[in-house]
Amino acid sequence: MPNRIITWIDQRFPLTSFVKHELTGYPTPRNLSYWWNFGFLAGFILVLQVATGIFLAMHYKADVALSFDSIQHIMRNVNYGWLLRYMHAVGASAFFFVIYTHMARTLYYGSFRAPRELMWWTGQGLLLLLMATAFMGYLLPWGQMSFWGATVITNLFRATPFIGDQVVIWLRGDFTVGDATLTRFFSLHYLFPFIIIGAVLIHMVALHTVKSSNPSGINLADKDNIPFHPYFTIKDLYGLGIFLIIYSVFVFFIPDSLIEPANYIPANPMRTPNHIVPEWYFLPFYAILRSVPSLVGGVVAMGLSVMIFAFMPFLDRSRIPGGAHFRPFYKIQFYLFLLDMLVLGYVGYVPPTDQTIAIGQVATLCYFGSFFLIPFISKAEERWLIKRGLPAEVIILMESELKDKEARRLKALRRKGGVA
Amino acid sequence: MSFLFRITLLLCFSWNVWASEVKLDTVKVETDIASIERGASVLMDTCHSCHTLKYIKYRDLISFGMDKQKVDEWRDEQSLDTPLFAQMAREDAIAAFGTAPPDLSLMVKARNGGANYVYSYLLGYYLNADGELGNHFYPPTKMPDILNSSTITEGPELTQIQNQARDIVSFLSWVADPHAAERIQLGYYVIAYLFVFTALLYVLKRQIWSKLK
Repeated sequence: MPNRIITWIDQRFPLTSFVKHELTGYPTPRNLSYWWNFGFLAGFILVLQVATGIFLAMHYKADVALSFDSIQHIMRNVNYGWLLRYMHAVGASAFFFVIYTHMARTLYYGSFRAPRELMWWTGQGLLLLLMATAFMGYLLPWGQMSFWGATVITNLFRATPFIGDQVVIWLRGDFTVGDATLTRFFSLHYLFPFIIIGAVLIHMVALHTVKSSNPSGINLADKDNIPFHPYFTIKDLYGLGIFLIIYSVFVFFIPDSLIEPANYIPANPMRTPNHIVPEWYFLPFYAILRSVPSLVGGVVAMGLSVMIFAFMPFLDRSRIPGGAHFRPFYKIQFYLFLLDMLVLGYVGYVPPTDQTIAIGQVATLCYFGSFFLIPFISKAEERWLIKRGLPAEVIILMESELKDKEARRLKALRRKGGVA
Repeated sequence: MSFLFRITLLLCFSWNVWASEVKLDTVKVETDIASIERGASVLMDTCHSCHTLKYIKYRDLISFGMDKQKVDEWRDEQSLDTPLFAQMAREDAIAAFGTAPPDLSLMVKARNGGANYVYSYLLGYYLNADGELGNHFYPPTKMPDILNSSTITEGPELTQIQNQARDIVSFLSWVADPHAAERIQLGYYVIAYLFVFTALLYVLKRQIWSKLK
């Protein structure tokens, strides 16, 4: 009977072939390390955030007079409301942790390089959507940090040329952050995750076209690919187990460690907190904003600091495959960049003094400098490595990558009808 | 609008106005019912006249396991479902102290340092050279020195007010997060389960991957 149903469906819809090609039999490089688990984890957290969020929305009230109390209602009176709310709050941080790791892996192994540029750019779009969603969600508890964070960030849109003031009012729905802002942020905070799901599908379609990258940096021969199921289903599930243990430690034992104490004070437009800090995942970008001593300059620098990742496929000009694996200078640059992010995060967290502002400005220069130097360093590194003599395996990899590129070019030409 | 613009600039570049960084005393928050009930007693005697605990109802105290007779004494004529509102009206408190006494429901969560801050603050009063009352941890405070920490500086009396402050903080910690005990209890089970689950997944992973040559 089940077979007959499946046959019936298959005649009308490619169910079996879809499952076989895209899920169970999807060819995956066998040499993927655990760094390749983070995409799956991000998808898992997305589902978790949507699921907890839907139930939180049943008890939450988007109204400046009620929202702070409604969070306490969830925390105290709703059955396991505290669990839902802490899972959602910790989940936001977990989401960024996983996404940043996912991005760091992509940068380290050069996974953004041809032919995966569209994966990288759809990922960049997903990052922006995630940041917008997190930012709007942070307003909803209507605490002091919620209010002042939203005030500061919406105010940045004043930097828009000519219509800055109007844009700020348009975003807030009022002259200041108020009830109109809260209700629209709530509405959009509920909408954006579904746009993210759509964007994830595009990300997945692109992935299934170009297939996963792998630590060696080149497309592997068919014999080095293995079916996704059972090998990577079990590997992803094992990784999920490890992730859930760490996540649960935060949810059950230190749930408030990532929540600013000031956000347990109801929003008060008449009283500015001593020290406005964003959530940890925005700190490096916030430090860059503060490092530029003009509003417009700071906003441009902050926007560029997020968007500059999109230029990586153009900036990295090396033909040596395998990301940082075969490239000593790129590797050093990668680790220095991570260090710079940590320094910027610290500078974003502490209240500014002359000293931290100076450190922040140097770190900001290093941040942009490391991107601007990549074209030169990658080319010089390539020349140096070739002169020094590459290992035979790398030469084979390079040749096969060149062949791939040529094949792709020919295919494109043929499609256009240029070559018969 | 230029007002908001200036605020942003102010926020961005001049946060040098800072509460003085005084080292907080550390306190061990008690979670047993006896300490929390003692803390509630002290709080009802000394704090409740001015401070509200609006997220806690008298019924919550009883369902937590506090002595019903005591709770009935505290609530007097009020129903069990009344939140712990202050005895003094807010306007009267503002008239008397110049500022509204804050609600204490979330006090332990709403300050950097948490329970340690509240404990240190309660015991942080001193008399300056002119005999004026001050507080090391929150200089602009308008609250009187309820535990007399400015005059009691040693001896068994000091131990007594330290114990009282610890009980108050223990009660306030429960008030701020009444499900904390349940949460931690559940946390042990969840993590124990996840360890077993993950170990099994690991074994299965090893087994499945061993089929690859």
